[in-house]
Amino acid sequence: MRPAFALLIAALYIFIFAPLVVVVVISLNGGTVASLPIESWSLRWYFKAFETTAFINGLWTSTWLAVAATLIAAPLALAAAIAIARADFLGRNELEAFLMAPILVPGIVIGIALLLSASLLQLHDAPVRLLVAHVLIAFPYCMRTIYASLTRLDPVLVDGAMTLGANRWRVFWHITLPLVRPGLIAGMIFAFLQSFGDVPISLFLTDARNNTLPLTIMSYLEYNVDPTVAAMSSLVTLASLLLALGLERLAGLRRALG
Amino acid sequence: MDSGDRISRSARLALLAPAVLVIAFCLGGPLALLLSYSFAPGGSTRADFSDGLTLENYVGVLGDTFYLGIIFKTLWLSVLVTLAAILVGWPLAYFLWKMPPRFKTLCTLGIVAPLLISIPVRNYGWMLILGDTGLINKALLALGLIARPLRMMFTDLAVVIGLTHVLMPFVVLSVLASLERIPGDLAEAACSLGANRLTAIRLIVIPLSMPGLLAGATLVFCVASSSYVTPALMGPSGAKYSAVLIYQQFVSVFDWPRGAAVAVVLLVITAFALILVLGSADRRYRHLLRSH
Repeated sequence: MRPAFALLIAALYIFIFAPLVVVVVISLNGGTVASLPIESWSLRWYFKAFETTAFINGLWTSTWLAVAATLIAAPLALAAAIAIARADFLGRNELEAFLMAPILVPGIVIGIALLLSASLLQLHDAPVRLLVAHVLIAFPYCMRTIYASLTRLDPVLVDGAMTLGANRWRVFWHITLPLVRPGLIAGMIFAFLQSFGDVPISLFLTDARNNTLPLTIMSYLEYNVDPTVAAMSSLVTLASLLLALGLERLAGLRRALG
Repeated sequence: MDSGDRISRSARLALLAPAVLVIAFCLGGPLALLLSYSFAPGGSTRADFSDGLTLENYVGVLGDTFYLGIIFKTLWLSVLVTLAAILVGWPLAYFLWKMPPRFKTLCTLGIVAPLLISIPVRNYGWMLILGDTGLINKALLALGLIARPLRMMFTDLAVVIGLTHVLMPFVVLSVLASLERIPGDLAEAACSLGANRLTAIRLIVIPLSMPGLLAGATLVFCVASSSYVTPALMGPSGAKYSAVLIYQQFVSVFDWPRGAAVAVVLLVITAFALILVLGSADRRYRHLLRSH
């Protein structure tokens, strides 16, 4: 590699990582303002973050929402992916595009469309509104990853089992499910992270008692300068990167991102 | 019974029905409602169709320099983001393509994994770098290069930087996918026939990466033009970006039909860009797609 090109690549990697690293470094600053240079190293802002009710509530809301949405979306996605992967029927591509629509339509548009519907249906319960929205967010990410692992599954295995007399359920339990399990789990991790991180859809559906963590972080950024938010953001960053590593090992991150 | 890998019509229906119904009820229905709202008289949070449908919201949006200005500004900034994402993403994709397989996975992971981190968290780092008391200003002040902090945060530049950082991995991924379809010895062959490395890149690698580049760039443009978080956090205050404008119509102005019309216009522009670029890409580069 030429030195000039190596330098360019190094600069681009710094561009990618600088914003992430800066947040982590500042979260460890013992001083009271979120800026550099570091006055003293300390974990105090992490303790402060866990004493801040808004962050704890946000963490709880985002976590249960992402878990519940993923658990609801995954079986729907598994069933749909099996149907699409195993058959070649008229309108198959259109159907696939329809099922992937929650990714294709901009989040802000889905957000206001759900706001209008919730207001029309007098749906005053914020957790219900949020759950519906987050199932929509989670579904396509589950389906894409499961579908990808189904298409790599050798049909000979299914044919063989059926020739040997296994019925559809046994084939599903003993052949298909074990073989797509890595893809299924990878899809669920991906869906969990997308649901956990969402802002533009949740924005219109929360209420004062049910605010998600990214929204809490966003409003904190507008009104506060202390490093508590840096501590919370660092935790989100580290947890997300760990899950990304898990995704990579299970299904390959590039394949999952399609 | 049908043969091994196929499933029967009724089984297919039973497997698809739950997902299709969920998407239809939770997304199709609400989007239809949104569309109908955009044809209701504006100025309230209700859709009152007692006087029939009206086009006043669309006339109000498309005939008003305030709205049009914001929409064009958004599209212009999205073009800049797309160009920046190409300039950042293409060299990275080329770098990954040339990597030995052992390091390739790790280097790719470094570029792609940040995609999974919530956007406000990724923007926050830029706020700490670009802010009035941020890293860059502190460094420049300390070096005596400037007397007052440069205004970088809460500007269009900040939005372009933030969005480029968020969306650039899409260009890397789709360009890399194109590059990996190039036969390994093609560029070598060009070099052995007397082309230098840059000529080989210009005449062979760049043209063959075009399908991926266009697909990635289109995706970046569409997502950039409809994104909310980065413009809201890093952009100038007030509604200066389409998605922020929509948010304000709904949450502070309480003119839902007008907001719905802006959303529909945004949706149509995004869809149009998608069809236009992918359509033309298809025609011009179809031979490339076919031969690999």
